[in-house]
Amino acid sequence: MTEATDAVQSARAAADRIAKAKRLNALLTPIKDLRKSLVQQAQSAHPGGVLYGMPVAVKDNISTLEFDTSCGSKILEGYQSPFDATAVAKLKAAGALIAGKTNCDEFAMGSSTEHSAYGRTLHPTDKTRVPGGSSGGSAALVAAGAVPAALGSETGGSVRQPASFCGIVGIKPTYGRVSRYGLVAFGSSLDQIGVFGRSVHDAARVLSVISGRDPKDATCEGRDPLRLPTVPENLDGFVIGIPKEYFPQDLDPGVRRACERAIRVLKELGAAVREVSLPHTAYAVPTYYIIAPAEASSNLARYDGVRYGPRFDGTTDVAALYRTTRGQGFGAEVRRRILIGTYVLSSGYYDAYYRKAQQVRALLAQDFRNVFDRGVDLIFTPTTPTPAFKAGEKLADPVQMYLSDIFVCTANLVGLPAMSVPIGRVKGLPVGGQFIGQTFLEDEMLEAAYALERAVPALEEA
Amino acid sequence: MSVTREEVLHIARLAELDVAEEALPTLVEQMSRILEYVAQLNRLPTGETARPYLAGPDAIKLRPDEIKPWPMAFGPKQLAPAFRDGFFVVPRLEAFGDGGDE
Repeated sequence: MTEATDAVQSARAAADRIAKAKRLNALLTPIKDLRKSLVQQAQSAHPGGVLYGMPVAVKDNISTLEFDTSCGSKILEGYQSPFDATAVAKLKAAGALIAGKTNCDEFAMGSSTEHSAYGRTLHPTDKTRVPGGSSGGSAALVAAGAVPAALGSETGGSVRQPASFCGIVGIKPTYGRVSRYGLVAFGSSLDQIGVFGRSVHDAARVLSVISGRDPKDATCEGRDPLRLPTVPENLDGFVIGIPKEYFPQDLDPGVRRACERAIRVLKELGAAVREVSLPHTAYAVPTYYIIAPAEASSNLARYDGVRYGPRFDGTTDVAALYRTTRGQGFGAEVRRRILIGTYVLSSGYYDAYYRKAQQVRALLAQDFRNVFDRGVDLIFTPTTPTPAFKAGEKLADPVQMYLSDIFVCTANLVGLPAMSVPIGRVKGLPVGGQFIGQTFLEDEMLEAAYALERAVPALEEA
Repeated sequence: MSVTREEVLHIARLAELDVAEEALPTLVEQMSRILEYVAQLNRLPTGETARPYLAGPDAIKLRPDEIKPWPMAFGPKQLAPAFRDGFFVVPRLEAFGDGGDE
């Protein structure tokens, strides 16, 4: 049997698994188109590549030549990108197969994948709950075993939060580790492509392939691709900080128990564990919800019915065309964020909101520097304050929805690498623990994650 | 910090976004709640001169946020085949011309 035959078989098997997961509404690509494309890709995939034959699903806000890129929005329905995102081009060069486009909150704005124009994605083990978001489709497909890995995007925790809810690994690299070229812009100073995997190794392998310099993205650092660390025997010599602000009184008791058990495991592995303080943590969510909408209102100004996507009726004049297309093409959450962003950037409010938020962001970054400068290698926290919540539970109250990202959005604000690793179950629902690492030291973070993954009973009740 | 219906409509006009009449009451209520929530940053002293955070590699430098005319690399005189008294010199239209070149 030739290598190409192996890859074609792998492609057909992946298509069958994805078809079985159809009830989750995790994939936006029609299965018939996907099956045909996967076989074609397998026949021409690069046999020497490190990911040869590996199916990798891609979030719908990352540009691909093969499939539509709608960002989960009506305003980009049927949009076909004329180029591949750099991360996708690197996957293909490594022999991976692009396994379709996954459902997400519209333009990655949301924490539950309920804000997609193409219907909500279901949690893989409890259909009454959300898979998290905004990269919920990618997370659900990986958790259902349909693909070993998937790409997502992070602006405020949109890979780690769904990874935690679905019981898989999710990594957000340092800002500048992975090219943003071809990632549809939401909050440009926050956005990064991230990776989901069923194991730390799968996710890390994909991250290593997509990382590295890219002349097409000025914010991508001129570094070599990430080198994967070996799996450590223990964590001797590691100093892990536990920030007290991430364990508030109203933290879900099950999440608290799972984290305390994971911390005991880290100690048993040889790590020195210290309580630390990140005093401005409470200000992270309000800071995020000024900066992200402000940048979004600017980035999404380009969608007006002229250059991209369908044009909604507005024939009286060009301004009416813009307003009607944007009013009907964007969903409620995106419209709300564009309005908030426009408000905080408008004359008289810029200093009070946007400039102030950028200053607080500097204070948040200083909090982390203070901790790392005192000899702490990594920080460990819960990824989310609760396990996956019920569908519809937080839709009416946007602030409650935003608060589900309280432990994850800080890493985006300060550009640090972070990842979620499954650490236990609470009433059958997965719970994740989060490592936050130092700038461009993903290898240290991965070492600790490898060790924790092997030792913690992630499938057992905490 | 709450917003009024008129403020939401004004912001929607700035954002080139139609807002349906029936969606307005919920939008006003939700935007007010979000703005009240984020206004807690004002309780945090940062000082007038505190440096804002800048994302990305150190090599990236932002220009000052100023509105100013951006000079052309070459003036119109250098770009035009013929230029006189501040105007481009073009061939005269046949229908209106008297047979001259300009």
